[in-house]
Amino acid sequence: MSIEAAATWTSFTLAVFARSLLAPVAAVGIAIVAGGVLVAAVGQNPFQVYAILIKGGLVGWPNLSVALQLTTPLIFTGLAVAMSFRAGLWNIGAEGQMLMGALAAGIVGYAAPSPTILHIPLCIAAAFVGGALWASVPAVLRVYLGVNELVVCLMMNPIALLLTGYVAARALKAPGPTNKLPDILDTAVLPTFSLFSQLNAGIFIALACCAIVAFFNHATVRGFEWKIIGLNPRFAHYGGIAVRRNALAVFLASGGVAGLAGSEQVLGVYKAFYDNFSPGYGFDGIAVAMLAKNSPIGVILAAFLLGALNAGSGILQMETGVSKYLVQVLQFIIVLVLAAEFSFSWLGNRRRPPARSAATEKDPMTEPSG
Amino acid sequence: MAEVGADVVEMTHIAKRFDELVAIHDASLSIRAGEIHALVGENGAGKTTLMNVLYGLLPRDDGDIRLRGQSVSFRGPAEAIAAGIGMVPQHFKLAPSFTVAENIILGAEPVKSFARIDRFRAESQAAELGHRFGLDLDPAAIVSTLPVGLRQRVEILKALFRDAGILILDEPTAVLTPQETRELFLTMRRLADSGRSIIFITHKLREVLAVSDRISVMRHGRIISTAPSEGVTAQQLASLMVGRSVLLRVDKSKAHPSAERLLEVDGLTAIGDRGETAVSSASFSVRAGEIVGLAGVQGNGQDELIECIAGLRRPVAGSVSICGTKARHLEPRQSRDAGLAYIPSDRERVGLSLTSQVWENLSLGHLKAFSRGPILLANAAKRRASGLIRKFDVRGATDVTLARSLSGGNQQKLQLARELTRGTRLVIAEQPSRGVDIGAIEAIHRILVEMRDSGRGVFVISADLDEIFSLSDRILVMYRGHIVADLVADDTDLEEVGRLMGGLHEEPNAAHATSPRERAPRVH
Repeated sequence: MSIEAAATWTSFTLAVFARSLLAPVAAVGIAIVAGGVLVAAVGQNPFQVYAILIKGGLVGWPNLSVALQLTTPLIFTGLAVAMSFRAGLWNIGAEGQMLMGALAAGIVGYAAPSPTILHIPLCIAAAFVGGALWASVPAVLRVYLGVNELVVCLMMNPIALLLTGYVAARALKAPGPTNKLPDILDTAVLPTFSLFSQLNAGIFIALACCAIVAFFNHATVRGFEWKIIGLNPRFAHYGGIAVRRNALAVFLASGGVAGLAGSEQVLGVYKAFYDNFSPGYGFDGIAVAMLAKNSPIGVILAAFLLGALNAGSGILQMETGVSKYLVQVLQFIIVLVLAAEFSFSWLGNRRRPPARSAATEKDPMTEPSG
Repeated sequence: MAEVGADVVEMTHIAKRFDELVAIHDASLSIRAGEIHALVGENGAGKTTLMNVLYGLLPRDDGDIRLRGQSVSFRGPAEAIAAGIGMVPQHFKLAPSFTVAENIILGAEPVKSFARIDRFRAESQAAELGHRFGLDLDPAAIVSTLPVGLRQRVEILKALFRDAGILILDEPTAVLTPQETRELFLTMRRLADSGRSIIFITHKLREVLAVSDRISVMRHGRIISTAPSEGVTAQQLASLMVGRSVLLRVDKSKAHPSAERLLEVDGLTAIGDRGETAVSSASFSVRAGEIVGLAGVQGNGQDELIECIAGLRRPVAGSVSICGTKARHLEPRQSRDAGLAYIPSDRERVGLSLTSQVWENLSLGHLKAFSRGPILLANAAKRRASGLIRKFDVRGATDVTLARSLSGGNQQKLQLARELTRGTRLVIAEQPSRGVDIGAIEAIHRILVEMRDSGRGVFVISADLDEIFSLSDRILVMYRGHIVADLVADDTDLEEVGRLMGGLHEEPNAAHATSPRERAPRVH
């Protein structure tokens, strides 16, 4: 490649990179401005509120370690959602998959004594399988019967919550007043390394997962095929990719990664499975994936943004009395703006001069073949 | 009606931009009363956009439109219709479950007292209009039961019912058989004789010369010439359209097919999307070293037949054999491995991923060559893509541009580059020149002939008879799901193939029918 060509190529990729950052950055910016207006409307100084938020999320190891603790499950769930979105599958059931993963890790953690070197991997594997199994319901219905996965995933979430709640409150309840499973054995505990939070070694597992998926996406044949399936499944089928088998694999892998979030919570944060432990990490994972535009590295950044905001929101409420839900409002505005961008581009496509007549839409994932 | 020969529409210095894309630059066009004015140009030249500006569908960015001397600026089609402009769109906008009369009056219903629709008046007015212009139709027929040719009549009548003095026909012959086309031309002539003006958008040069009084040629958003059609030749028009002389017929030697059958379809039956029998026990074969063309009016089962062969649809009976691999149904992966290269007509949905980069589009189906175990050798795939871009002259492309940003012709070259470099022996090209400009058509046809000469079997499906005749050594005709004829290209002519496409083989004396007007009316 000549120097000139290399330079064009570099400026081209830079331009593409800058453009891909535009929407997330704009979404965050709009959310900050709108949130500021909201804060001003309730009679507080927005600059002061944001200063406290940033300080509460980032400044000082105690605050930062809480932020990182809250970031860790979001990396897993965000990555899980991003993997499925990239392949054109709308797995929004990460919450339920995480709960089932947590339950599996919680059970293996106390009921299967084994040496540390085996016990932790065993629990993590159980969490992956638990999440994947829970994802297999919407996955099979989607891939083989064409049932809309959004609806099924949405229904599977409360089912998982109630089912795990039943196990924690009845079937395998630990003695005592709390609805929880017995504490996991010491051999299954992920080491924590902060006095100020429950930040634990799970964050390294999360980062490693992102690195693995990033490599998979960019450097493997399967990763290439999954991307093509996401962009145009009919093209993928026409080109000889086994669309249904691959779609099933993506969905199960996505559910498994969501299940890993549960293992981190159980092995690292709570040391036992507690009923209803999640403040909605699975749902926040959708926002993370959207903000990250499905990029695994972007997932790390977006999860940290939301994690830090959540960490800061606790401090904010203590110091100023502004409700910590302000942060949720900010998060929702970000998602709204990103969703609006999505529908704008959709509208933009529709408003072009009319193209050729559309042939009947067919979905190779559900075509009776393969 | 205005005086015959006077200008009824004058469009001057029209400009229209879509963001950065300038679709129309400074186009000026005048239409006289009582003339058939053809507007020709390649796809993407701006013909339809210019007409949408006239019809009020798109606001103009610059220039002036005068209608019978008055400057007008329509805010929507309703105002254009009120001013006497009618448009018959390329894709009909009819309510399929309504009757012909209901469709015609929809939005302009004649009413009796208490706002009741006057059905009797509606039907009689519709029938009378139709009769006057040779557009005979049963006003009570349900539109969904009518063939395309008759649906088009409904659209025309709809415009006439609203008193259109200026009628825009956008690619009206794209869906018609040669006979239906001739009937349409007779109607157009009658309408012009009654003082109405017809604007006829097309890119089929033979038709332009057959029917129009004056011809305007558009190229790159400009009207580059307006002239009376007398004395103009198709070659001249074609070179005006593309800006250089092109061959309209490929030079090819006589075919020397071998006995080896690369494609063999036996008793294939398939069900269409609406549950109808789309293909009825079709049997034929394509041999090595020949080009076989499949002619037929669109919607007679060609799409379903090809989908079955390519593995995108599952047949209910019969078998397909590709280079000796025989089965009821081969998945696309299997048919590709057996030796099929397939260029689908639906580039946007099937043959390409428009939101993917060029190298990704070129690599699908070649992944084995660019993998080491599970690892994808993306740089090698990109290098190959750059080579193919040069070899197939894909303009405006680099390995990393998005397929969406390429023109139709260059997208088609992308498909060809991917499919024809797979080293397979059987090539199926579906509508290879649809949406492709003349310059690129020539290149694509030459490539297909080269494929034949190198001993491959080529199967071409086209709605364009000129394309079928210019390429094929053998011609199959499909009508209502049946292969109704298997002809040697040199022993047949447009007339015969056209008759077969229209289903006239079903009538015993069809061969002796000299005029299309003698046909039994196909009104239901």
